[in-house]
Amino acid sequence: MDALNGWWDDFFWSSVVVVEVFVVALILTVLFGLIGAGAKLSGNRAALSIANGYTIVFRGTPEILVLLLIYFGSAITLTAIAQVFDPEIKFLDLPPFWAGSFAIALIVGSYATETFRGAFLGVDPGQVEAARALGLSNFKTFIYVRIPAMWRLALPPFGNHMLSLIKDTALISIIGLEETLFIAAQATATTGKPFTMFIMVGAIYLSLSTIITLSVVVLEKYANRHLEVAR
Amino acid sequence: MSFDLALILDSIPKMLWGIGLTLELLFVSGALGLALAIVLLIMRISGRWYLSAPTMAYIYIFRGTPILVQIFIIYHGLPQFEFIKDSIFWPILREPYGCAILALTLNTGAYVSEILRGGVLGVDRGLKEAGAALGLSTTDRFIYITSPIAIRLALPAYSNDVISLMKSTALVSTITLLDMMGIARTIVAETYAPYEIFISLMVIYLIITWGIQRTFGWIEKRMSRHVRSEA
Repeated sequence: MDALNGWWDDFFWSSVVVVEVFVVALILTVLFGLIGAGAKLSGNRAALSIANGYTIVFRGTPEILVLLLIYFGSAITLTAIAQVFDPEIKFLDLPPFWAGSFAIALIVGSYATETFRGAFLGVDPGQVEAARALGLSNFKTFIYVRIPAMWRLALPPFGNHMLSLIKDTALISIIGLEETLFIAAQATATTGKPFTMFIMVGAIYLSLSTIITLSVVVLEKYANRHLEVAR
Repeated sequence: MSFDLALILDSIPKMLWGIGLTLELLFVSGALGLALAIVLLIMRISGRWYLSAPTMAYIYIFRGTPILVQIFIIYHGLPQFEFIKDSIFWPILREPYGCAILALTLNTGAYVSEILRGGVLGVDRGLKEAGAALGLSTTDRFIYITSPIAIRLALPAYSNDVISLMKSTALVSTITLLDMMGIARTIVAETYAPYEIFISLMVIYLIITWGIQRTFGWIEKRMSRHVRSEA
């Protein structure tokens, strides 16, 4: 444990990076999931096949491959575009933070697509008809009726998606994001205590996933609060 | 920036050199992980706290931390201890291959054991009671009544886990192993053509995923043929 002295603040700030990536990726995941589910339920054939392609590709290929493709792919595209304007530029990339958050959100978003699709289908059609009868617009029906009824159904599987998301953040160290694994590798180089350092990373992730699991329990309680009375 | 078809045709055979290692990791750690999962399951449902409590802790830790961190703890971390270097396991733990098998096995064992438990809990109580009424011992009831039904119930979730195990094998490229992912990363480092190489590799992985899904689909169909003939 002595080896950790002098590294505590590095581990703390790198955990903050993990949390930041998680929050950005979570927002994007919900966005991609809703767009994907919308496309699958739209009845539009083109939108349906694009959404199907999306879920098949991102659920069937390794996360690390998607991450590297997006990071290096965006880098050569950006470099090529930049060279049109200024031939002096040798290399331009998306910051690993944004490329990484985007990549893991794309992956987990493909799982969220299926979850949201199922949850939207699970909404009682009577409630939607009632909203129509009350004269609510399609948009208002979506925001005030479908979403609140849907997220109650989607919450338990979505909790698992959040756990995948936090665990996938570890991969972003591969493209150079200075998060906990990156710090552990640095700390190992100076202290020669790899086990201590990597166990520390494991402990950080275990605490973060515990916090997520507990938050989901609280959220589920909140989402089902109107059912409490009936019990 | 251009799309180099000749490069794709040239690199696919090179990447396929690594498919042997990818599949080997999948089968070896899949089989060992299943064996571990069964042991964990029996300990978990034994009803004895000194067996089930450690199992729960094990599952909690291995499902709550990223597989990449587990691989790093085993590969980079364990050599910190002299007693591990002196132990009989050192010839295995010295090699990245042994570390990869160990990490993947320990990880998938935790997930699969929860899946199997879900299957066991799904078995109708009346069937077990009927077995007890017929005078079958606890062991016989578990082997002849609970297991066949539990396996059928757990299969769909298990096939998803085999797919995630297959995707996790790509992470061994981070500990110097040359599986398909490792070879692809080497080629990209030389040619700097991420789109061509990584997208071709995505297609290869998608074909493997499809193969796994088809295989399990066939097994599921076979195992539930008595259910279909009734309907």
